[in-house]
Amino acid sequence: MAEPVLETRGLTRRFGALAAVDGVSLAFAPGEVHAVIGPNGAGKSTLLAMLAGELRATSGSIRLAGRDVTRFSPDRISRLGVGRSYQTANVFGELTCRDCVWLAAQSRVRSSMSFFWPAERYAEVGVRAARALNACRLADRHTTPARELSYGEQRQLEIGMMLATEPRVLLLDEPLAGLGHDEAKQVIALLQAVRADRTLVLVEHDMEAVFAIADRVTVLASGRVLETGTPGQIRLSPRVREAYLGNEP
Amino acid sequence: MTLSLFALQLLNGVEYGLLLFLVASGLTLVFGVLGVLNFAHGSFYMLGAYLAYWLSARFGSLWIAIAVGVPLMVAVGLLVEKLAIARLYARDHLSQVLLTYGLVLLFNELQSYAFGNDVQSVPTPAPLSIRIPLGEAQTWPAYRVFTAVACLVLAAAMRQVILRTRFGMRVRAGASNAEMVSALGIDIRRLFAALFAAGTALAALAGMLAAPLTTVYPGMGEGVLILSFVVVVIGGIGSIKGAFLGALLVGLSDVFGKVLLPGFASAIVYAVMAAVLVLRPRGLLG
Amino acid sequence: MKLRVLLAAGALALLAPAFSGDRFWLQFLGKAMITCIFAASLDLLVGYAGLVSLAHAAFFGISAYLLAGLSNQLALVNPLLTLPICLLAAAVAALVIGWLSLRATGVYFIMVTLAFTQMLYYFFNDAPGLGGSDGLYVNDRPRLGPLDFADRPTAYAGIWIALVVTYLLLTRVLRAPFGRVLVGIRSNEQRMRSLGFPTPRYKLVAFVIAGALAGLAGYLDATLYGFVNPAQVGWRQSGLLLMTVLLGGKGTLYGPMIGALLLTFIEHYGEQVTTHWNAIVGAFVIAVVLLMPRGIAGLLRGARG
Repeated sequence: MAEPVLETRGLTRRFGALAAVDGVSLAFAPGEVHAVIGPNGAGKSTLLAMLAGELRATSGSIRLAGRDVTRFSPDRISRLGVGRSYQTANVFGELTCRDCVWLAAQSRVRSSMSFFWPAERYAEVGVRAARALNACRLADRHTTPARELSYGEQRQLEIGMMLATEPRVLLLDEPLAGLGHDEAKQVIALLQAVRADRTLVLVEHDMEAVFAIADRVTVLASGRVLETGTPGQIRLSPRVREAYLGNEP
Repeated sequence: MTLSLFALQLLNGVEYGLLLFLVASGLTLVFGVLGVLNFAHGSFYMLGAYLAYWLSARFGSLWIAIAVGVPLMVAVGLLVEKLAIARLYARDHLSQVLLTYGLVLLFNELQSYAFGNDVQSVPTPAPLSIRIPLGEAQTWPAYRVFTAVACLVLAAAMRQVILRTRFGMRVRAGASNAEMVSALGIDIRRLFAALFAAGTALAALAGMLAAPLTTVYPGMGEGVLILSFVVVVIGGIGSIKGAFLGALLVGLSDVFGKVLLPGFASAIVYAVMAAVLVLRPRGLLG
Repeated sequence: MKLRVLLAAGALALLAPAFSGDRFWLQFLGKAMITCIFAASLDLLVGYAGLVSLAHAAFFGISAYLLAGLSNQLALVNPLLTLPICLLAAAVAALVIGWLSLRATGVYFIMVTLAFTQMLYYFFNDAPGLGGSDGLYVNDRPRLGPLDFADRPTAYAGIWIALVVTYLLLTRVLRAPFGRVLVGIRSNEQRMRSLGFPTPRYKLVAFVIAGALAGLAGYLDATLYGFVNPAQVGWRQSGLLLMTVLLGGKGTLYGPMIGALLLTFIEHYGEQVTTHWNAIVGAFVIAVVLLMPRGIAGLLRGARG
């Protein structure tokens, strides 16, 4: 593999006596779509939260493009080019779609410690925001308050907000959770469209989606890495079948 | 400072800290589980003290005053919870601060109207008015021993209730996830009401115990409330053990501060709080 | 658009007493306008950044006491000197107290701001040479050439200008990128962090701006009355100020200013009605929280849309 864009070494997180993530060492290659799957309680969301800087590691390290980011705050990690979406749609409910994406874009284009000129004046931010709204297919809903969107649309908005920060690495926590079949297909198509030049780390339960877009799959169980391989390899692995106890992928 | 003087201040500081702990633990339980910041908590302390004054004057005994006063304050707590606090569960911080602030103003007027604005004293119960000698020059009032012991007993009892009873388990569950507790069919409303009443009673009891020591005066609740806040911030988020430690620290800082640096006594407690914020923002045991 | 017309009309109406010279209205509306500045600055924190701060009265008091000190001890009366010094002092105090307080989150932040306010109250009340609970007179009020701010109409005009400038400044800041960040923080701070915003920094800057404006209010108050005292720094003051924000409608700027005007009226006439005035204020506060959570501005918006 070329130099991994994101990697963990012995990453561990304990809550008291329980190790939610236990000695996880993974390397994510640039440009790949890497799915992380596993039974409930396997530590997938915890792992993602740690990669995003939201949860502090008990031990182990995280490296982003070779740089040790283990103790970095979530905003610092974001500024280094990491985007994050959440298990439940996490948007700015009272703001319009456009304003949500605007804020995301504003975080990159210039320092927001700017007090005098109206925000609208910064055309570059507007351009980026419009681009992101188009990419997530919500351009026609741009004046709608985020809380009035359907759940699926809020997911799209989340991805749009993430895209507006033009991340190199996307951390996606169950982007398809709670979506109906058609909405899920929309989001999968969206992910397919944005994967170019980006690395996606995707925590998911929806196996169909995982096998449709993932280049590689890692299976976690009880906080530990069970196996990493191509979707085909994982599908055939006896260890993985055992971990899922009869859940046929 | 002589050894006996040091011992005197040490005991005073610990006793004061234990009283503060009683008040602060009620406060922590209420916003830890109910999620409501109650500024009127200090008013309950004050009401307790005034009740101690009034009832002990009527019945001639502080013990009877406490025996009657505590159930009375439990009733007050239930009433306040039902009428006012219950409406705050889903509300934002601004609403909580202001509504309970309004309650403080009402309680202050109630106290002023019912008891007047003079400073009142409450006599120490007879058997406890003796003084215990400490070394040659100092003595310590037996009543303070009593209050310190009472607070310790209550603290231990609280610990037992929280760790070993079903009610305590529900309290701990409610503190981590009220929605889940409610979804499990446990009547969260009754739990909250009981908890609020318990917090009220703790504050009031502290006031009753403190009354013979500090005298009873208008505005006595506010000072205690703010010190309780300091205790909670120092001791740590959601930690009763932390509140205990924090209370002792605040009690000792205050007492020793008054003796060693008389001009800056009150500032010392805040300086300790500032230090904790700098070094361990989540509190000592948070 | 209509709102702006109304506000402009209101502002012009407020200018009237400066010309009529009516002593009562000059003092009364002067005080009301000072409270408007005070309330609007708090709204920046409460309504826009989502920070319920009880420390605001502290910065008011620091600035006011400093003016008294500069006038009494150093015979400084030039407002071009004293005003920047007092504003700077308030801003620095806000920086220190803000930095410490913001290390605590949620209700703990509120508690810490209250604790620091009380600390300052005890300081102003107990420290020798500061007049104790009686406070201090400002011996020489600000004077600049022909303008003597001890003269009521002049002070009033100065306060009016300060109010207009404050309002324009705050609206500017809130429409700027900084203002958008504050709204984002209030809406969903976690999301803002994961989008790359170092939110503590923004909150601190908001705290300092608000604190400086509170200092402005304190300076003007000391100028108008020629008098400072510790009660201005207490938590009751902070509580009443929060009340104006809720009453008027948080997050609107003009709402808290309406709230401030209203409360000044109520306080003035209420005190004459009964000695048990506190009970009425208490009941009123509770009623507003329960019945009018979105404040007057909320009612107006409801009536319009």
